[in-house]
Amino acid sequence: MVHILENGEHFRADNREPEPEPEGFGSGFSINDHLDLLIEVLKRLDGRSLGAAACVCRQWCAIARNDSLWEHLCFRHVSPPPVGVRPVVSALGGYRRLYMVCVRPVLSRLKRRRLGGESEVVRRVWNQHEVELSLSLFCVEYYERLLVGGGRVAGDSPSSSLKFLCMPVNV
Amino acid sequence: MKRGRERKKETQTTSSSPPAKPKDLTQTLPDSGGMDELLEVLGYKVKSTDMADVAQKLEQLEMVMGEDGVSQLADTVHYNPSDLSGWYQSMLSEINNTGSDGVSSSVDFDITLPGDASTTMIDFSNNNVTNGQQTSNMYDDDPYDLRAIAGGAIYGISSTDESLEDRNGIKRMKSAGSDEIIDVPPESPRPVVLVDSQEAGIRLVHTLMACAEAVQQNNMKLADALVKHVGILVASQAGAMAKVARYFASALAQRIYKIYPRESLEDLHMHFYESCPYLKFAHFTANQAILEAFAGATRVHVIDFSLNQGMQWPALMQALALRNGGPPAFRLTGIGPPQPDNTDALQQVGWKLAQLADTIGVEFEFRGFVANSLADIDAGMLDIRPTDEEVVAVNSVFELHRLLSRPGAVDKVLNSMKDMKPKIVTIVEQESSHNDTVFLNRFNEALHYYSTMFDSLESSALTQSNTLDLEMSEVYLGRQICNVVACEGTDRVERHETLTQWRTRMNSAGFSPVHLGSNAFKQASMLLALFAGGDGYRVEENDGCLMLGWHTRPLIATSAWQPGSVVET
Repeated sequence: MVHILENGEHFRADNREPEPEPEGFGSGFSINDHLDLLIEVLKRLDGRSLGAAACVCRQWCAIARNDSLWEHLCFRHVSPPPVGVRPVVSALGGYRRLYMVCVRPVLSRLKRRRLGGESEVVRRVWNQHEVELSLSLFCVEYYERLLVGGGRVAGDSPSSSLKFLCMPVNV
Repeated sequence: MKRGRERKKETQTTSSSPPAKPKDLTQTLPDSGGMDELLEVLGYKVKSTDMADVAQKLEQLEMVMGEDGVSQLADTVHYNPSDLSGWYQSMLSEINNTGSDGVSSSVDFDITLPGDASTTMIDFSNNNVTNGQQTSNMYDDDPYDLRAIAGGAIYGISSTDESLEDRNGIKRMKSAGSDEIIDVPPESPRPVVLVDSQEAGIRLVHTLMACAEAVQQNNMKLADALVKHVGILVASQAGAMAKVARYFASALAQRIYKIYPRESLEDLHMHFYESCPYLKFAHFTANQAILEAFAGATRVHVIDFSLNQGMQWPALMQALALRNGGPPAFRLTGIGPPQPDNTDALQQVGWKLAQLADTIGVEFEFRGFVANSLADIDAGMLDIRPTDEEVVAVNSVFELHRLLSRPGAVDKVLNSMKDMKPKIVTIVEQESSHNDTVFLNRFNEALHYYSTMFDSLESSALTQSNTLDLEMSEVYLGRQICNVVACEGTDRVERHETLTQWRTRMNSAGFSPVHLGSNAFKQASMLLALFAGGDGYRVEENDGCLMLGWHTRPLIATSAWQPGSVVET
């Protein structure tokens, strides 16, 4: 995760000028002043860590809700990356919702079946079919909310057609 | 009430689980457990190992009394009230005997002493298991002879002797007037156990099939007795088999009493969609075929023979939205039955689909047609545009089989399908033969089919916290069962036929098969892998068609067709 150096050393990334010491914090480097760095770091996290990062403070929460981070998460390892998906996914509820409601359960379900192990779920290439299936399920879920509500269901809970994905398997 | 009694039974059993000091019994039974202490205080001698049996008999008694009335018991002679088991036995035997108009006394039963009882039953069991015809031979003699239920077979060696032989054995002993014999419990000196549920399940199936045979032979009195017996048997069972049996028994009863059920109104389609993968499989595989057929088209038209809630189309629209080159203009024609409350359900679905289309950026047009039967629609009504302008797909999920109830209807529809000039026709149907001319064949096929279906539902029950969908799906399937078993003529619309039969029909109507590709297979397999109970589901490829089944039994089949006969290419 992110380490905040408190001993006065500057954290120096490549190709970046060292920043002047921020006021009010004494010596030390605060990542909160370098949000682009923060975002770069967050981009490389897995889903669980990203969720945890969102709980650190209000600022991080706001940043972690940035949909492009979740887009990265969803399709980082997809080969080849899908084209033209963004407007559709955004319209259907965004990448964060896609991840919570479809991608994470689909991957974990398929992973468990294939290897039966508890390894890192996202660090694998997932193929075109899995992408398509997740997107289809996501669209069906959106439609169901239309049928039922008229409005959107609050929060991250999916509508009934995807409940089968969320039930624990041999926990 | 039943549940309460069961709980009572359980608590009593647990309270007596440390074996009481064995009393000195007049009957020296090698395996006797202690007497139940609580009941003993009240003056009843009931072995704790008997408790379950006694409770079961209590239930049966209630069941039987409920039907025939308490007055029947007025003549019953009770012997030794402290022998609870024996008392219930005698009551039950009385009721059964009076119920059969006292004919049984003239029927010749083998007197069996407890020691021999087991042997007799085992022999009977072997006979019955190996030769299925045994049953029908038995009851040809006497219409009221309930041995047709193959009592011994399935009661087996567990000495819960509900078989008529033993009951009448008691009766014989009773008339002999000797009290000592009566005190010998009808149970053999082996430990009393509850009937093994697998055996009970077999018993249930045999009884159902015997009842169907009776109906087939128009022997309604016997069928009636058997159907009531199924009711008793089912009461002590739980699980998928019991549920299926209940539906079949109820359907048989309706057929016997000629109470034909009316077409039910509430739409349970969505519940079935949620609780199990069959509809999802159907939609995904059909969509894949349609998507491939629509490759390169700029305007497309889908004709859906049974729109319901339109759950199939969001996924197709999303796939079209994301395809290379952008989405085509998507036109949907949905056909559905008239609604009882005269609301325009089709338009509402169309409106929601339009909202979705707008969200994902697909040009959308919808038209709904209300029709009692597909045969009422012809291609001219549907505004078919020229083939070079618009590519047409026809989709039918669980709808074509209904046409078989009227002669000529299915041919008419297949012809008008050709007039629609589709590039592809996708058909999903149940994979079973429920349209045989012989009732008994239909019954047997349906029993196997729906047992498998309910089994698969049962497994997905383990992973669902919301049981409403599951229960409603069972009702949904139950309605189909009722239609297959109880209805006839134009009312019987659930005329399922196998893929082979449909292939023949499509070929002779002038369609040639389109193979569903490997993409469809992969997607279907992946979809099933997502279902937690999914170990049992199997996707099979059958000569270009895809079948979804539970373990080894295929249950639904998706096939794709195009106009143009196989001969001419």
